[in-house]
Formats: sequence, C-alpha cells, structure tokens
Amino acid sequence: MNLIAISINHRTAPVDLREAVYLKEDEIRPFINFAKENQIKEGLVLSTCNRTEIFGIPNSNETSHEKFQSLLLNFKSSQNITENHFQKYVSRDAIRHLFCVATGIDSLLIGDNQVFKQVKDSFQIAEETHFAGYIMHRIFDSAIRTGKRAISETSINEGAVTVSYAAVQLTEKIFSNLSKKSALVIGAGETGEIAAKHLSEKGIGSLAVTNRTQEKAENLAQKLNAKVIPFTLFKESIHKFDIIISATSSPEILVNKDDVKAALKKRSNNPMILMDIAVPRDIDPETRKIDYVFYHDLDSLNIIVEQNLSKRKSEIPKVEKIIEEELENLWEWYNSLQAAPAIKDLRDFFEEIRNEEVEKNKNKFAAEDQEKLDIVTKRIINKILHHPTIELRKADDSASASDSATKIGIIRDLFGISPNKKSEKN
Amino acid sequence: MISGIHTINILLPIFYFVTLVAYFYDFLKAEKKLVNAKRVFLFITLFLHLIYIVLRTIAFDHPPITNVFEIFTILAITISFSYFLVELVSDIRGTGPFIIILPLIFQLISSLFIQDLTEVKEVLRSNLLGIHVISALLGYSGFTISAVYGFLYLVLYKDIKLNKFGLIFNRLPNLEVLERLSLYSAVIGFIALTIAIIIGVIWLPIAFPHFSYLDPKLVGSTLVWLLYAGGITSKVMGKWRGKKLVILSISGFIVAIISTILSNFLAQSFHSFY
Repeated sequence: MNLIAISINHRTAPVDLREAVYLKEDEIRPFINFAKENQIKEGLVLSTCNRTEIFGIPNSNETSHEKFQSLLLNFKSSQNITENHFQKYVSRDAIRHLFCVATGIDSLLIGDNQVFKQVKDSFQIAEETHFAGYIMHRIFDSAIRTGKRAISETSINEGAVTVSYAAVQLTEKIFSNLSKKSALVIGAGETGEIAAKHLSEKGIGSLAVTNRTQEKAENLAQKLNAKVIPFTLFKESIHKFDIIISATSSPEILVNKDDVKAALKKRSNNPMILMDIAVPRDIDPETRKIDYVFYHDLDSLNIIVEQNLSKRKSEIPKVEKIIEEELENLWEWYNSLQAAPAIKDLRDFFEEIRNEEVEKNKNKFAAEDQEKLDIVTKRIINKILHHPTIELRKADDSASASDSATKIGIIRDLFGISPNKKSEKN
Repeated sequence: MISGIHTINILLPIFYFVTLVAYFYDFLKAEKKLVNAKRVFLFITLFLHLIYIVLRTIAFDHPPITNVFEIFTILAITISFSYFLVELVSDIRGTGPFIIILPLIFQLISSLFIQDLTEVKEVLRSNLLGIHVISALLGYSGFTISAVYGFLYLVLYKDIKLNKFGLIFNRLPNLEVLERLSLYSAVIGFIALTIAIIIGVIWLPIAFPHFSYLDPKLVGSTLVWLLYAGGITSKVMGKWRGKKLVILSISGFIVAIISTILSNFLAQSFHSFY
C-alpha cells in the first residue's frame, strides 16, 4: 500500500515548532485543497496542539515523504523546521501509527481521550472535502474500531491524568451525587477554568466563581452558567459550598484554619472538600487536621496522577495487541485487492450462479438441448464479464495502485465477494 | 437424604471459600470480564445453601434454629443473601470480600460442629419461635453488614485524609455510599430486631414458666436496640452523620456480639437451649 505519513509531534519537536505548523480548523480545508492540487489523491490531516500529521495516498508512486513535508512547510512557511523534526511512515507502518494515535498510546498524556475525537473530526473534514477515498474510508473504519476496542477492552483511558481532573475525581470518592452538591472555584485563571469546566461536565448542582478581577470571574461564570461571588465577600460564604477549588496566584494564604472551622460549624459538620491547586498554596494546609474536612493540595493530587499514568502505561501492551489484530484484518482485506485473484473470484461467483440455475432448470429442456443450454449460458457469462475483466487487468497495469485497489474493492463490495468467502449470495 | 445433607455440609464452606476467592480476585484485579463471574459463584453457593436448609428442615423435622451451630448456618445464608441483594440493587462493587468472609466463618464453624438433632424440646417447634429467631437473626445480620460498611467507611475516610490512594481508594465505593449502605443495613436490622423483641416479650412469658425480664439475652438485645434507636434518630434529626454514625454502628455491633457471647455461653437462663 503506498500510504505515506509524516508526523511532527511532542517527541520530535518543541512546542514553538509544533505551534508553527499547527493547522487551525479554518486552515485544514485550504491545506487539503492545496494537497489535492499537488498530486495527493486521498488522505487525512490531523492537527492538534501536540501533533500535526498528514496521511496520504499520492497519485504517483514516485511521491515521497519530502513532498509531504514541503507541502506543509510551503503552506505554513516555517523556517526553523528541518527534516529531523518529522517522523516518517509508509504503508503498513503508517496505518499502525494512525492506530497508535487513535488509541492514545502515542499521546503525551497516554490514553488521552481527546485525540480519539480529534481523529474522528479530521476524518469528517476529509469526507466533506472529498479527500477520503475508498481506501482511506476503510483505514478510518479500522482506526475507529481499534480506538473503541482499546477503550472498552483495556483501562488505557481510565483514571485522572491531570491535576484538575484528579481533583474532580477525588470529590467523586467522597460524594456520591455531584448534582446535589455546590462548588466554589476561587481564581478564574487557566487552571481554575479547567477545574470549573470539569465540575460543570460532571453535572455539579451549583457552581460559583470568585476572582480578584471581577470581570474575569464574570466571563468564566457566563461560559459555565455559574454564579459570581465578589472576591472581598467570598470568605463569608464558604460554608455554603461542599467543594472549594482554589487556583489563584495569590502570594499569601486566602483561607485559614479558623475560616474553615467556622464554616464547618455553620454547616453542622457536613463534609467539605478543599482542593488547593495553587502555587503557592491558597488554603492553610493545617485544615487537613479538621474532622469532616478533606484538604488536598498539588502534592497529593499528583500522587493520583502518577499512579494513573503508570497504570495506563501498563495497559499499552494490551492496546498494542489490539492494534496488531486490527492491522492484520485490514491488511488481509488490502491484499485481496489484487487483480488476478479478484478476477478469478468474480468468474467463480458468476459460474456458481450459472451452474445452479442450469441444474435447477435443465429438466425443462429436451435431452438434446441440455448441452446447448450449458454452452449458451457460459457464453452469456463470458460476454458479461469480458469488459470488467479487461478493465481490472488494465487497472492493475496502471501506475496508481490505489486506482486498481479502489476498482477491485468496489467490485468485491458490489457482488459480496470477500477473499475468505468467495460468494455471499447465499 | 442424610448422606446428601452431610455432603452439602462439607461442600458449603468450600463453596463459600471459592466465592470469597472470586470476590477477592476481582477486588485486586478489577478485570471487566470477571464482573459477573463472581456473582454466579455467589448465586450457586446461595442456591446450594438453600437446598441444605430445606433438606435439614425436612429430615430433622424442625427448622435449623434450635442451637448455636444451626443458627450459624442461618446467619451465613442471611448475610450472604442480604449482600447478594445489595449488590444486585446498588451495583456496587468492591465491598464483597469484606462481607463474604463472614458467612464463610459462620458456615465453617457450623459445618464442623453441627449435629443431626431429631429430638428437640417441644417449645422449640413453635411457629412463633421460628419468626422470633429468624427476625432476630435478620436483625443481627443487618447490624453485621452495617458494621462492615461502617468499618470500610472509616478505612476509606482515613486513606483519603492521609493521601493514601491504593487499592482501598480505587476499589471501594465513595464515602457517602458506604455511609448510606451502613445506615440502610442498620435500619433493616433495627426493624427486624424490633419485631423479634415484640414477639419475644409477648410469647416468652407464656411459653416459659421461668421467664424473667432480667434475662441477660433480653437485657443485651434491649441495650443494642436502644443504641441503634439513638443512632438512627440522631441521623434522621440531622445531628449525627458520617464518621460519628458509623462509629455508633460498629459499637452497636460489638455490644451485640459481647451480649450474645455472655448470654449464650456464660449466663444460664431460660433463654439458653444448649
């Protein structure tokens, strides 16, 4: 298979170079058109903050990885990127690489859920721009099946692997139903925003945000349908919240032990979770000594993250086994797209039908006509199959293997002739 | 039939042990494929146990509730059946090994010492006695399960406070669920014990000429009943929750065990039959 792939990712290039070639959503479509104009017949373009990948089947067998790289570098005009910043794959290795990406084992955060969705999205774009042909469709189906199997058959995506998600998962080990709980996020910076988003996604009952700059708190609150509490007043209302996540850049402690004790008294000892994901810390760590208060800071959340990451790493061999199985299935299908066996299977398929019908009906003919019936029906089949046979042989001789494979694949699909099961008519 | 009963008597502890191993393996490995296998083991064990109880009742012409070793086998089946229901209804995983170990212990002791009694006192053949004993056993099964969930609550509570995120943290359900399971089991146990005490107070003075309200078993059960009544009331009124409540449940269980041992083995009264 002359599938070619190039990848620039977190292992091959620093973030500034990855950013330089990152294709935004509105850039991917023009890039695909540019690729099509430059002899890339069908393919897939995946671009995220950690990787930009181009998979393609060129019109000519002469087309190399360098052509793919120059296409990308011409389109994004980045000067500091060299050939060494790219990983190159061809044929079966290219498909294996796509499967590794789809299952998340090639990600910076092993088992990353996002990348599976991103692969699906990029294929959607390839379809919309008619960049996904017959072969890419099949490869994509296999990639999605591989990704789904990795999720359902292994624990590759289980457990929190970011601090803010670990904070939310820890709350689920204390409270059973977040929809009945309330949360306050102190600090509307990037970390606070991610934590607030996670809480919102988990269906928190009510969410409030407070920030030294009121405007930032209001912006975040608007995005997440949360309330805003003025920063100067938040201490008086901490007793109203079951979960408090603090992520400010304040140099001093914002919530001390006495504040928490007073809040707990007002709550009649209803448990409180305090997640301090700020550096330096916002909440007095002494609060961890109070009964019914679950205080956790970055150090404790990092323990969860590290444990989950190592558990995910231990799942990689299981995922690799699934990848090899799916790769083998796909490869078997691809090998069936050769002209000679396809012509033979097609002829066998028609001959089987002819023979069956002749056997069923020959008694309706006089004994002396039965031989003629056999000859005539054979002649009809030969005439029907003459042109398709010529076309398949021609396609096999042409320069583009993908053209030939597409034609053979369509014929196999139309007549239900799979390589293992010659005819599916029964 | 007797040889069948003897065979099942030997098989039951083995079946409980295999079930415990299946639950423990699932607790350690949490493999998706094994989720239902352990439930099948428990179901088969329960079914075999039920056959055993029915066969004993038919063969010896009384339900197996007339001495401590017969009662232990009933206790084993009521605990495992209660847990089976809890698991089916709540779909909560991870607490099985801590519960299943109890029926294993009770059944093992029962299987080792149980005798084929055909002659029992006439008073022990009464239907009211059957209801009295079974409701008392259900009550104590409820308190046992409540105490186990209470204990698991305390272990998980401590682990979360001390940032220990090991097997207990990963496998057990969350604290609120453990607290709820402990409370529900205690409430069911409390209702069953209340029924046992009411029947006892009405029936015992009629059935036993030497009845005394100062009987150690009666005093012990009343003390346990008062403890759980206090705990459940304070929970309903919103005064006690979480750690305090589960400590009360565990204390109630310990008092129940001590009072049962004292009244059954040490004090001689009309309430002891063995």
